[in-house]
Amino acid sequence: MIDPVTLEVIRNTLPAIANEMAADLQRTSYNMMIYEVCDFCTALTDEKGRLISQNVGGVSHFVADLGVIIEDVVAREGLDGFAPEDVFITNHQRVAGQHLNNIVIYMPMIHGGKLRGFAMTRAHWIDVGGSSTGLGASPMVSDPWFEGLQLDQLRIYEAGKLNKTLYAVIRDNIRYPESSMGDLRAQIAACRLGVRRLEEVYERYSADVVEASIATIYRESERRCRKVVESIPDGVYEAESWYDDDSVTPNDPIRIHAKVTISGGDMTIDLSGCASQRRGGINSRTLAASRVAYKALTEPSAPVNEGSFAALQTIIPEGNVMMAHYPAPMGGWSLIVPTVVDTIFKALAGAAPDRIPAAHHGLLGGSIVFIGRDPRTGGNFVLQSLEGGGWGGRPIGDGESASVSVCQGNVKNSPIESMEIKTPVVIEERSLRPDSGGPGQFRGGLGIDVRVRNLVEGKWNMSRPRRRLCPPWGLRGGGQGGGAEYFLKLANADGFESVDQVMRPVPADSQVIIRTGSGGGWGDPLERDPALVLADVEAGLVSLDGALRDYGVVIDLAGQCVNTDATQNVRAEKRAQAAG
Amino acid sequence: MLFVAVDIGGTFTDLVAFDDAAGQLYHAKRLTTPDNLVDGILDCIDYSGLRLADATQLIHGSTVAINTLIERKGARTALLVTKGTRDVYAIGRGNRPDAYNLFFARPKPLTPRASIFEVDERMLAGGVVRKPLDKAEIEGLAEIISGQGYDAVAVCFLHSYANVSHEEQAGEALRRALPDVYVSLSHEIMREYREYERISTTAVNAYIGPKVSGYVGALEGSLRKHGFAGELSIMQSNGGVMSPQVAARRPVMMMESGPVGGIIACAEIAAALGYPNSISFDMGGTTAKASLVRDRMPAMAEGYYVGGYESGDPVMIPVVDIVEVGAGGGSIAWLDDGALKVGPRSAGSAPGPICYGLGGEDPTITDANVVLGRLDPEGFLGGDMRLDRAGALAGIESRIAKPLGMDAQAAARAIVDIAIAKMSLAVRQVSVEKGYDPRDFALVASGGAGPLHAVAIARDLRIPTVVIPWFPSHFSALGMLLADERHDAVRTFPARIDTADFKEIAAVIAELEAGLRGMARQSETHVEYFLDLRYVGQEFNLSVPVTPAQIANADRASIRSAFDALHQARYEHNADDEPVEMINVRLVARAPRPKPGMPTPGSESTPPRLALVSMASGPAVECVVRDRASLRAGEVLMGPALIQEYGSTTVIFPADRCEVAPTGELIITLAQ
Repeated sequence: MIDPVTLEVIRNTLPAIANEMAADLQRTSYNMMIYEVCDFCTALTDEKGRLISQNVGGVSHFVADLGVIIEDVVAREGLDGFAPEDVFITNHQRVAGQHLNNIVIYMPMIHGGKLRGFAMTRAHWIDVGGSSTGLGASPMVSDPWFEGLQLDQLRIYEAGKLNKTLYAVIRDNIRYPESSMGDLRAQIAACRLGVRRLEEVYERYSADVVEASIATIYRESERRCRKVVESIPDGVYEAESWYDDDSVTPNDPIRIHAKVTISGGDMTIDLSGCASQRRGGINSRTLAASRVAYKALTEPSAPVNEGSFAALQTIIPEGNVMMAHYPAPMGGWSLIVPTVVDTIFKALAGAAPDRIPAAHHGLLGGSIVFIGRDPRTGGNFVLQSLEGGGWGGRPIGDGESASVSVCQGNVKNSPIESMEIKTPVVIEERSLRPDSGGPGQFRGGLGIDVRVRNLVEGKWNMSRPRRRLCPPWGLRGGGQGGGAEYFLKLANADGFESVDQVMRPVPADSQVIIRTGSGGGWGDPLERDPALVLADVEAGLVSLDGALRDYGVVIDLAGQCVNTDATQNVRAEKRAQAAG
Repeated sequence: MLFVAVDIGGTFTDLVAFDDAAGQLYHAKRLTTPDNLVDGILDCIDYSGLRLADATQLIHGSTVAINTLIERKGARTALLVTKGTRDVYAIGRGNRPDAYNLFFARPKPLTPRASIFEVDERMLAGGVVRKPLDKAEIEGLAEIISGQGYDAVAVCFLHSYANVSHEEQAGEALRRALPDVYVSLSHEIMREYREYERISTTAVNAYIGPKVSGYVGALEGSLRKHGFAGELSIMQSNGGVMSPQVAARRPVMMMESGPVGGIIACAEIAAALGYPNSISFDMGGTTAKASLVRDRMPAMAEGYYVGGYESGDPVMIPVVDIVEVGAGGGSIAWLDDGALKVGPRSAGSAPGPICYGLGGEDPTITDANVVLGRLDPEGFLGGDMRLDRAGALAGIESRIAKPLGMDAQAAARAIVDIAIAKMSLAVRQVSVEKGYDPRDFALVASGGAGPLHAVAIARDLRIPTVVIPWFPSHFSALGMLLADERHDAVRTFPARIDTADFKEIAAVIAELEAGLRGMARQSETHVEYFLDLRYVGQEFNLSVPVTPAQIANADRASIRSAFDALHQARYEHNADDEPVEMINVRLVARAPRPKPGMPTPGSESTPPRLALVSMASGPAVECVVRDRASLRAGEVLMGPALIQEYGSTTVIFPADRCEVAPTGELIITLAQ
């Protein structure tokens, strides 16, 4: 048995190493997808790929997803096939299963002549060639070769010696090489730091003690998660939802289905009912949906390790949209994941009513992407920001507005001033959208409108979010949210029109509205406290009409108060209508 | 000359004063009087037996700013913003740091949406006016603000860091129309880009403005009425002091005025002993705080979140970089499913640790130290409070030792060791994780519980030297006596270093410098200059010190190589073939103030005693116990030893060597 002090010290130190790696990577990176969007993760794994620790914050759908890469490389190279200061690079979808922009860099840690584990980072590069610029290739891109450069578990450093040929091939086949080669340096430095810190722990406490401690930490995490799951009644719970299409085949909705089985402390999330892989690039190989949902339900604030998911079984058969065969296109690999997470929650909404909010906007950002050439500098620019939307009403109160999706934790939008310093645009407004929140006893959070004027010509990405068929749902009688869309007003045009188009060329002085979705409501809106409706009206978040239509609340504008009698009458009428 | 420092904390108001002529130091501790803080200060001065009329300097730190904000007890505040940005304050950055928590809470604006007014004006990134401000619109808004009874107005327009004219015009009109309303303009606090964070900072300043400026005014009035004729200074979060007039305009600068005092004291005292690089370690009842001092300068952070990163209010002002962990003397030891944990829950001062005998039932770090013999039950607070060792022992026995199958001594040691590991992580975070090797630093311990644990933490991190200063439990107030006047200015000014017009940079510097010199009271003011630099494409930057000569000569090569070197030192990689850009110009102005001396050591003679103390695993060892006041300059003690003083005990482990400095501080050299 390890003494409790050593165990506690190691328990605190391992996540601190991953967080330190993350802080350094973020502070030295060259692209906003890393420094602002936090589209990266840093982790330590053991020699079998089991997760020792991972950074906190950042993008949630990267949770515990690096193990398969280590299993694969160790099967290829053998446990004795690694040298200190080897640096590997990979993004290949055969194993990595995400879009090619997500570049994984890792280094082995060898102690006492034995491979002990790896320090790893996965980070979104701004470009990997092909059609990957910016947020990554669109789902319309038909195969990985079209998408970008594929790197399959290659050593970019062999025992500390740079493979110059590989380096040149990468540099010469991507746009913005100064940015991505900078990110490569930052990722390698983070891995080197992780290896050094892990070595220090091994040296101080010995391999036996460290490894026994890690095993104990896994067991404890598993036990705590089981305890939470035990509090949910045993049973089989199912839910279904839809994603409009794969961007390539029209009128062919993608079914999302979750079957959750609770048996004591065990949870099985079976996603076999989800659609098969598609021609459009919304495919992936990922357990993210199941793991994000499980983590949120069990131990949301605890550090992640392999034990965090030991009592979770995820079933996704080969050929499923989330377990697609290479070379299925994966440009939009993560687009449906937030909705799959919400569907898992929806399945459990009856069994764990106090823990499940109504559906959120479910989008990986209202994404702002505008590409062009800046006449002031003569250089190319990419304008990027990810905007939040509304979250669902919750059993304890209203949903938050303008917040990033369940798959994105510490992802930040770009400041208006920062965008205008870096690119020739004017952000005309960034506003909450009144009346957008799904009505409910606890209202859904609001979506937003961002209106951007481009001062030079360029191309706008205006791919409409695929949540029209099945907008974010309410729970327990709450109304639905949604409404995400793009609008374009060309220079000299009279008004805005709704657009669904990738890389649309527009002249200077055009305007685009990026509209994000809102959250569903929780509970019957006729049960909402009229005082809360009044407060929303006073703040301009709900209109007078909306108060009457959605909540049956009559507001006396002159007296700035609720007309109680009229409200009772209207609500009684609405209830009668609903019953009849 | 008589120097007086008064530090108001949540529980106690501390006073430290030094009489130069008599070489006499005074200290007093009184309960804080939250309803009338000014009376509390006067009471503390009375209690210490000092006469205000004799004081030449009075330095004051207070929690009034942070409490007003955290308790949401500020003014009814209106906010004026650029058209199209009314909701920026509510939308913020859209992020959810608490990533997996479905019940996350976003920060709540201090001004409700109905109190935010848009103004139809617009500036572009370079400071070019796109839509001029219409003064009539401001006058109209002033009428509304007056009609709706607001006490404060904050104004934050887009790109005002680059061109202040619209905010200035709005400010003039508002101040003229609303003489009784507190007006705060974003550029008067900071000229740095990122509108959400600047709006929040300006709103905080306006929100706390009426109360804090009223407090500072009332304090000065009362002090004068009671005969104080000296200079009053207010402690700031940046580690310097400011005049009451500046404090009334920029109350947000007072936000962390309490804890920084200790860090200033750490910097000054360690430097005087020959340690320009030091780490301040301050452990009180509920938390422990660590901060780093390099070349006698505290490390700074460029902003922080009042109330925590997850849902707190961002405040973009220079603040001494402090890492805080939930481990203090009152932190509770508990079992989480069989795993031993310490903190973050604290027994506080009521009911307090078991050994206080005030009804506490949960074993704490203090109880563990009593069980180990490191805290003397008879000598606590100079013997004013007798500690219940038997109770502490029974508590640790039943709650921790038995369930874990260990004896009480071992359990007590485990509690202390886990607390030390936790606190070591905080010290690591300010040093190792920022690229500094702790072996190059001395650890300066303060707070009631700091000297108890400092040597063990130093050993954990291989820090060779620990310094126990005078009055470790009054260290914050002591530090205020030692602080210089300091003012910071920043201005966002994007430019590539290889092509920048250095004449323009010089002009920006000259403008900022004139503003800083206007705030400083002393004519002898030193200004330091920094450029915030980054490789083109990066977002985060490093502040690189520059000289006026480098700017005047447009010495691009030396400026960029200094940046390359700093990037290498901090992150272990750089890119010396890539273009470098500047994002901000930063100035720090310091005006030295007269400093007091310290008392002479060895004034009393109390005989040493012996006690049994558990130092490491195995049986307790016999250990010498000395009174701090009896130690003479130059005296050497070898561990194991305990040194007791009012409010604190220093633990020296076997083979460690403690020497009393000529100025009275304890210098502990750890055994190799």
